[in-house]
Amino acid sequence: MDMKKVHKRSKALVIRETVVSYIFLAPALFFFLGFVIVPMGMCLVTSFFNYTMTDFTFIGFDNYIRMFQDEVFLKALVNTFIIVGVSVPAVVIFSLWVGASIYKMKAFTRSFYRCIFYLPVVTGTVAVTVVWKWMFNKYTGLFNHVLLGAGIIDERINWLGDERFALACIILILFTTSIGQPIVLYIAALGNVDTSLLEAAEVDGATKLQTFWRITWPSIMPTTLYVLVITMINSFQCYALIQLLTSGGPNNATQTIMYYIYYQAFRLYDYGYGNAMGIFLAIIIAILSAIQFKVTNSGKVD
Amino acid sequence: MKKLIALLLACVMLLSLTACGGTGTAGGNDGDKDSKTEITLWTYPVGKFGDEATVKGFIEAFNAKYPDITVTVQYLDYTNGDSQVTAAIEGKKTPDIILEGPERLVSNWGAKGLMVDLADLWDDEALADISKTSEAVVAACKGADGKYYEYPFCMTTHTMAINYEVFEKAGALKYINEDRTWTVENFEKALKAVKDSGLVQVPAVVYCGGQGGDQGTRALAMNLYSAQFTNAEHNKWTMNSAEGIKGLQKLVDLKNAGLIDFDPAAVASDELQLFANGTIAMSFCWNAANQSSYASSVTFTPYPVAFPSEDGTPELCGGIWGFGIFDNGDDAKIEAAKKFIEFICDDAEQGPKSVVATGFFPVRSSYGNPYAGTADEERMAVFASFQQWLGDYYNVTLGWAEQRTAWWGMLQQINDGKDVTEAVNDYVDTCNKATEAASK
Repeated sequence: MDMKKVHKRSKALVIRETVVSYIFLAPALFFFLGFVIVPMGMCLVTSFFNYTMTDFTFIGFDNYIRMFQDEVFLKALVNTFIIVGVSVPAVVIFSLWVGASIYKMKAFTRSFYRCIFYLPVVTGTVAVTVVWKWMFNKYTGLFNHVLLGAGIIDERINWLGDERFALACIILILFTTSIGQPIVLYIAALGNVDTSLLEAAEVDGATKLQTFWRITWPSIMPTTLYVLVITMINSFQCYALIQLLTSGGPNNATQTIMYYIYYQAFRLYDYGYGNAMGIFLAIIIAILSAIQFKVTNSGKVD
Repeated sequence: MKKLIALLLACVMLLSLTACGGTGTAGGNDGDKDSKTEITLWTYPVGKFGDEATVKGFIEAFNAKYPDITVTVQYLDYTNGDSQVTAAIEGKKTPDIILEGPERLVSNWGAKGLMVDLADLWDDEALADISKTSEAVVAACKGADGKYYEYPFCMTTHTMAINYEVFEKAGALKYINEDRTWTVENFEKALKAVKDSGLVQVPAVVYCGGQGGDQGTRALAMNLYSAQFTNAEHNKWTMNSAEGIKGLQKLVDLKNAGLIDFDPAAVASDELQLFANGTIAMSFCWNAANQSSYASSVTFTPYPVAFPSEDGTPELCGGIWGFGIFDNGDDAKIEAAKKFIEFICDDAEQGPKSVVATGFFPVRSSYGNPYAGTADEERMAVFASFQQWLGDYYNVTLGWAEQRTAWWGMLQQINDGKDVTEAVNDYVDTCNKATEAASK
């Protein structure tokens, strides 16, 4: 009888706590539903329509079929994969290297480097981009000035206006603005690796490489997974740099899916087509994120 | 007790959410609102219409006459303005009034049925007065359906400009006629003289990085051999004519000879910056407003000239600015918006002031020269002399947005070595398809 009473009371308690939890969650849930889930649903639905300012006709999968017949979209797709393929490994490797070099330093020095690498993140994208644009300028830019002065090049290079260099320049800028957060995270993660394990490995005669590969790397795997996913998503969604620097040119050499979505939806008012590309991009990001979770063993440490 | 506090806190948070769903009436004086009509104005930066203090002064003058109408202003720029308007259209939050030109008001939003017909503002007096200045202005403000979607108040012709001192030192001034026109042959000779002088890195840059200012490169290419961008009906693109191809081929030849440069990384503002800091000797993106705004920042004399043409008679691209009203379905607001437009454009005292604020010229012939007796009189007289060469206002052709992107792309392609005829044919094909699609 007593047990029954206790059970009843604990059940009521659980219900009350659950209700309170849900009430606390409600504001966030409201915004999440209203500004993320509902727009996503609308995006999915309208991708099956010829949706412009003056038309809203159901056309089935026509937007998706058109996408793969659109040369500019295919070029944007390839460029986007190049950006992701280059920037993600580069950001992870460089951040890990910098993190590993910094985390054992004195607190002041460590903070100093953290600030330096984090500066491009806290500085506004527009300000950063304007400086880069000036440095890349064909006529008055720093790079041409230095390279010409050093005798490395014979004539001025149009860094952002030449198909051979434009995408590489974008990747370089994206790289500098992407490494700040991973470096800070790696410094924290490396500082949290269990030192007793490292000391034990050292006593057992493990080499530095073995220690890193067998102990440090698995310990920072959750951080690596986060860095991989976030950098990949940011790289896939590369838009602001393109908008501010090249508008997708020259000859679509820096066209990305995100910029092309913007162009179709906000310049040509072809919302349905833009949304179809958005859905396609979301699917790609979801699949690649899932693969990353799988490959990195869901960020778990054995 | 803790639970009670937590529950209360949660309820407060929930209640705060309801504020998000308000209808926008909170915070105001309802009694006052009943008697006042609130309208919103969005302005692109047309001269000082991008300057808050100037526009505020105009609104104060308007309110002195119409105290029952409140005008709220939002300032747009040419980089993000279109996106903001598009978002507003989709969110059904468009402003009541918008200030821009016929390519947006008439052939874009007007053609999509989003704008109010302003026929009642275009009464016989206004029609006669504006027609006297230019029939092209009247035609540009009217949609294909015969409705007026823009009520204009100022206009200008876009020109190019040279660095007077560089040209003087290079001995190239002799290639420019007294009336500031020049032939293609003399243009080429001037480029060569400037290049040989070594005073600048390169005489001129054909910017093709997009984002506006394209009227300059279009005017350059079409003027060389008197090509036309569209047919007279503005429903077919015609730069693939023999004259158009010849003009673009000439630009490629000049580039190959090292006399000009194509820059796919530069937009119009970059080219203006290169001109202002003396890196190049001429700008293809000039007008009266630029002459005024760059006056204090340059160390040389920017000398406006017409675009070169083989027959010596240029056909300059024009700019016409005025107001349009978005149809938000509220008759009171539409009426208030019309009163505001009438005041800014037609009021005997305010009208000329509005024109002067843009730095351009009045579309109303009755305004005469609003710069007479001012410090700007001499400068504006130079630009007034270009008005005689105002060409066809083909910017109203449907599919304009696609055309602009295709134009930049085409310039980038011929810079990269693509055959000019093939590139122009592709460009015209893209434009015609866009026009056809927009006409449906």
